[in-house]
Amino acid sequence: MTDEMLRAPAEVKYAEELDWLESIDDGPKPFSWRLSPRMVRLFVLGSERSDGLDREIPQKWFGDRSFVERSIVTLASDRGLLLIGDPGTGKSWLAELLSAAISRNSTLVVQGTAGTTEDHIKYSWNVSMVIAKGQSRDSMIPSPIMTAMEGGVIGRFEELTRSTSDVQDALISILSEKYVSIPELDDDNIVFAQPGFSIIATANSRDRGVNDLSSALKRRFNFVRIPVVTNKRSEAEIVRFRTVELLRRHRIELELPPTLLDILLQSFADLRAAAASARSDDEKLESALSTAEQIGVLEDAILHSNFFGDRTLRAETLAGSLVGSLARRQPEDLAILNKYWHGVIEPRSKKDGGEWVDFLEGGRQAIATLS
Amino acid sequence: MTQSPFAALREQLSDAAAAFAGTPGALSGILSGMVDDVDRALGEQLEIFPVCHHSPGSALAMARRLRDKQPEVIYLELCEDLRPVLDELRNCRLPVSLQAFATELDGFPDAWGPLSVVAPITEASAEYQAIAYALDTPGVELVLVDRSADHVFQWSPQEQPDQPADAVGMEIGDLRPRFAELEEHLLHHGKVRHWSEWWDQYVEQPLAGADYDTYRQVMVLIGSLFRRLGPDDAGRLARDEDRERYMWTRMREHLATSGADPERCLYVCGAFHAASRVEEFGLAAERTEFAITPRTATTWLYGIVPASHSAIEEQFGLAGGSVSIAAATFAKAVSRGGVKPYQLKEHASKRPARARKAASPVRREPLADRLSGFLSRPPVLDELDEAELLGWSVDIVRLARRNGYLASTADAIAVFETSILLAGMRNRARPTPYDFQDAAVTCIEKDTVPGRRDVRRLCEILLGGDRIGEVGYTAMPPLAQDVYDRLAPLGFDLKKRAVHRALLDLNADPALAPCSHLLWILHRLLPDGAVRPIMGSRRLGERSVQESWDLALGHHQRALIELGYEGVTVEQVLEQRLRRRVWDPKATAAVALEAVEDAIVFLGSRRLTEELGARAVELLAAERTVDDAPDVLRGIRRLLAHYRATEPALPDWCERFVTTGYAHYCTLLPSAFVAEDIGVRQVAAMLGFLSSMEGLALSLGCDRAQLELAVRQSHPETPGKVALLWGAQFRLGVLPLAELRERCDELLANPLVIPSFPQYISGFVQALEPAPALTPFVVEVISNAFARLPDEVLLPWLPMLITTLRQEAPELVPVLVREAGRTFPGTLAAVDAWVPPWTARPAPRAEARPVVAGGPVAELLAAHPAAIDAVAALLGCEGGWQPLGQAVPSGSGPAGALLTRHPATVTAVAELLGGGATS
Ligand SMILES: Nc1ncnc2c1ncn2[C@@H]1O[C@H](COP(=O)(O)OP(=O)(O)O)[C@@H](O)[C@H]1O
Ligand SMILES: [Mg+2]
Repeated sequence: MTDEMLRAPAEVKYAEELDWLESIDDGPKPFSWRLSPRMVRLFVLGSERSDGLDREIPQKWFGDRSFVERSIVTLASDRGLLLIGDPGTGKSWLAELLSAAISRNSTLVVQGTAGTTEDHIKYSWNVSMVIAKGQSRDSMIPSPIMTAMEGGVIGRFEELTRSTSDVQDALISILSEKYVSIPELDDDNIVFAQPGFSIIATANSRDRGVNDLSSALKRRFNFVRIPVVTNKRSEAEIVRFRTVELLRRHRIELELPPTLLDILLQSFADLRAAAASARSDDEKLESALSTAEQIGVLEDAILHSNFFGDRTLRAETLAGSLVGSLARRQPEDLAILNKYWHGVIEPRSKKDGGEWVDFLEGGRQAIATLS
Repeated sequence: MTQSPFAALREQLSDAAAAFAGTPGALSGILSGMVDDVDRALGEQLEIFPVCHHSPGSALAMARRLRDKQPEVIYLELCEDLRPVLDELRNCRLPVSLQAFATELDGFPDAWGPLSVVAPITEASAEYQAIAYALDTPGVELVLVDRSADHVFQWSPQEQPDQPADAVGMEIGDLRPRFAELEEHLLHHGKVRHWSEWWDQYVEQPLAGADYDTYRQVMVLIGSLFRRLGPDDAGRLARDEDRERYMWTRMREHLATSGADPERCLYVCGAFHAASRVEEFGLAAERTEFAITPRTATTWLYGIVPASHSAIEEQFGLAGGSVSIAAATFAKAVSRGGVKPYQLKEHASKRPARARKAASPVRREPLADRLSGFLSRPPVLDELDEAELLGWSVDIVRLARRNGYLASTADAIAVFETSILLAGMRNRARPTPYDFQDAAVTCIEKDTVPGRRDVRRLCEILLGGDRIGEVGYTAMPPLAQDVYDRLAPLGFDLKKRAVHRALLDLNADPALAPCSHLLWILHRLLPDGAVRPIMGSRRLGERSVQESWDLALGHHQRALIELGYEGVTVEQVLEQRLRRRVWDPKATAAVALEAVEDAIVFLGSRRLTEELGARAVELLAAERTVDDAPDVLRGIRRLLAHYRATEPALPDWCERFVTTGYAHYCTLLPSAFVAEDIGVRQVAAMLGFLSSMEGLALSLGCDRAQLELAVRQSHPETPGKVALLWGAQFRLGVLPLAELRERCDELLANPLVIPSFPQYISGFVQALEPAPALTPFVVEVISNAFARLPDEVLLPWLPMLITTLRQEAPELVPVLVREAGRTFPGTLAAVDAWVPPWTARPAPRAEARPVVAGGPVAELLAAHPAAIDAVAALLGCEGGWQPLGQAVPSGSGPAGALLTRHPATVTAVAELLGGGATS
């Protein structure tokens, strides 16, 4: 089944692992949870030898373990969980993993946009059925959130801050009253949330100010802030983890040389340091330089090498992809990259040689083509 | 579940051992070696008490053991020369640091100085328990056995060119993985974030109910593991081993001379040292001859300086708040009863401690079994813990509200529950402060921090906050006491950590003058912010009658105490520092002049100023560079002005300075004019010195010809210096203004020179230093430049002009502006009609002819033309004679044109003069 989907949700992808964990789990489980909190943590963060398991559980989300712990205990309390952070820090991925582990369903998702309406989080009507049979529970289309309430499972709300305040207000009542009433119906017109229902929302901290959350809504969420990973080792793991997955998904046979991964990590680290010391937005790349961005660069380079190159990942290609993905604004971003290439990569390639030389060349060409 | 509370720790340690052992065979070696280490330490005849820093468990175990054993001698791992200051601890509020300090080095590279060793002491520490017990129990001797501060530096790698500028921190019982990977491994596998949390979870908590032997086993075990898994930093381990040899040697010496019974002694050292394998270890050691090198001749001074929990965390790389949390944990354990900790009695309440002399020591039972002594005891969860957590939860919400958070009772409940859930998930019997902190952050922190402090910081404050120590008056060095005494008339308690605003009206209350004087000296000596003048100033010839000060001595106690290592009064310290400055190999004349000024302003000692002044003369004469010429010029000018105003005659050194300077700068002038690396500003300052000191120098026997010769020998090439030379020549009277003007006109007329004209202007501005009379001319040159230079030259150059003027000639700009104000009209309307004085003036050549077109001189010359013709031929003048008396066409020339266009003025003048004719 996994193979037939372009991208399987976590509960499908890790179904076998989750089954196994459930079978050995003897810890107390809150509400209708399928796993105990400790097992959820184990699933997300991977196992240690000291956990004494018969099989190894790989780590799936990388970052400070207290973020995961705080998220799990929040879901076991009566508050919603809001993961907030820069784009590409793995918020959605963590939300997916948590709901997969807790409810075996990570697909009850509402995407927050300016066009999201109350219907999207409550219910709407199947117009043809209403015409045929009138308004009834049968002709009602429950939203993912309502489905989650009925099932006592986790509902997800992506990019909460992008939705309008009406939608946010509707969410307040769901989170505090824990039911939704359907005034159009005469009876059976209240849907109660079953125990175990909770919401994991994500918000992009760069969106702040678009639709600021009201304090009433804030109060109903615990915030867990996910920072950009700056620890090179865990970052390398994330990138490798995702890339291997990606290669598998595209069925690509391609070697990822460790030295190239190092180059990628190093250049991102450099650019982040530069962004941190920039005095104005013009001196800063528009990109948040997140881990996901790195994965994007690598993905681009891999696809490029596979389809347009000789199926070997080369430093030139990587440089080209990096420049291509990061140079978003002309001329600001290009100027920054140009400066970086001259001021940092060039001396480094002189000093360290190796793949840096090709990286220098590839970047130069890409910059030249773009400007 | 009756799992041993130490199961987790055991697993952590054996895991780490396995991970870092290297070869598979090495692991069993390490494990059995650890057992040996524990056996050896616990079996030693001299009882070893292993400690770990900032471990409440260590402190509690120490208090218990002291009450049980009542030892007569305590050997403590602490620099032995710090012993005398320990007695002063009772006059301080902890945390404080014991300090050894040396500024006069003898036997160490000078670049290392000043040397400083600090050993922080907190109340919740085993060492404080030992110290308090020993000092307050009659008949108990406290012997410090670690190497002296001097040895700390003797043993530090000598090849290092300079020692860390900061003090070297010493901690008793430094017990931490010795390399980053091991610590990372423990944190990762222990599922905690930082070292303090690991320690709390795996060591402190299980130790809470452990007995003494278990305590010792666990500590030595950890020390042993870290030692055996140490990195290949041979130097550090060798130093540690030497320290162990040192300590055992000292203890053997003491036992031999005092005849103390080893059974009644206690050796307190870090767990790391308890697991030592040096041959000198133990009273029964086979090797006992360790040669302790003598100290160097460096003079060491000792004292106590305030410390703070946050500073300790910072210095020793501990997580923020961890020392405070350790203190809170200790306090909680104490309040729970069971242990009565020792506490130094203050001197004030000095009553002879009741002779409860070493009452009934409990003998140690022989050790039954070894590592299996890890007790099996289920964790306890008691009501006290729950009440405490509830209290914290309520308090944090209150604190958060006060800091701008929208927190409510619902949050308090959420924090409480979340703490317990987190602790459960983290395998802890009860929530630790770290769980609580995480829970509070989770439930209260939202997307923005409303006030100055975030929830994490608020938790730290709640759990004890930063504690800042205070050194009591009697524990301070004489200098600090003297300062406090002398500032007493201000009426503040300056030892308090507060900022006091002092207002001194010296007219109304002349008795405060000495305070004011002292404050100025402190201002000069202490770091910024310790005493800060808000109003009033003190400089040469300047004294305020009203002053206001912000005094924050309480915050800067350490700096004040460290001054005390340099002398017994601030005056003495300042005097020494001034002397040291001028005798420094890098000292310059400018520095020495500054020192003279400081001596006059702050110390008023004629002897000292003469000495410093004489040194200034020496330095000036020996100087080969003129980089400091601007500072020298300004310094000596100020001093001359001061002496002229206050003394009947100049001091001898001053006169010598002027004559030396005159000759010195004359000699260097020609080369300075051409040297590329010497700026226009420097040369201008030299010329400034020469011209403004000229009168005095000549009266003292200098020769003006020397200067004239020097100027004549100067042949600068760069435009700035050329202009400067012209200025100097003008000042000496060898270049008349007219010619100077002409040269400038030529420059402006020459398109090849125009781009560098701005540099000429800079040179002219600098020339104001030696030739202030040139001011109107400089205004004229600048105005002309603005009028005539093409925009493409002028515009790019403008910013440069402004910055150059601001940087290089800040004191000359006002002069120029004033002059320009005099020259230019004051209103906009007047500008239209305004004629610059220099254009209104008849141009020297073109219009000279018509002017001398008549009169007796002309007649004479006309009668005897030969001489003039010859001169004219010589000069290459063409033209020839004009008929005498012929009227000059009055409308010719620009002036004429101007007058024709604006006749009103001339008409008015003519009317005034009574002439009726019009042109
Ligand atoms: N900490 C992380 N651990 C694992 N994968 C991560 C992490 N951060 C980013 N990623 C990867 O980056 C991709 C984008 O992350 P995503 O969850 O969509 O970011 P966000 O929602 O924060 O914008 C994810 O698919 C994931 O593979
Ligand atoms: Mg997302």
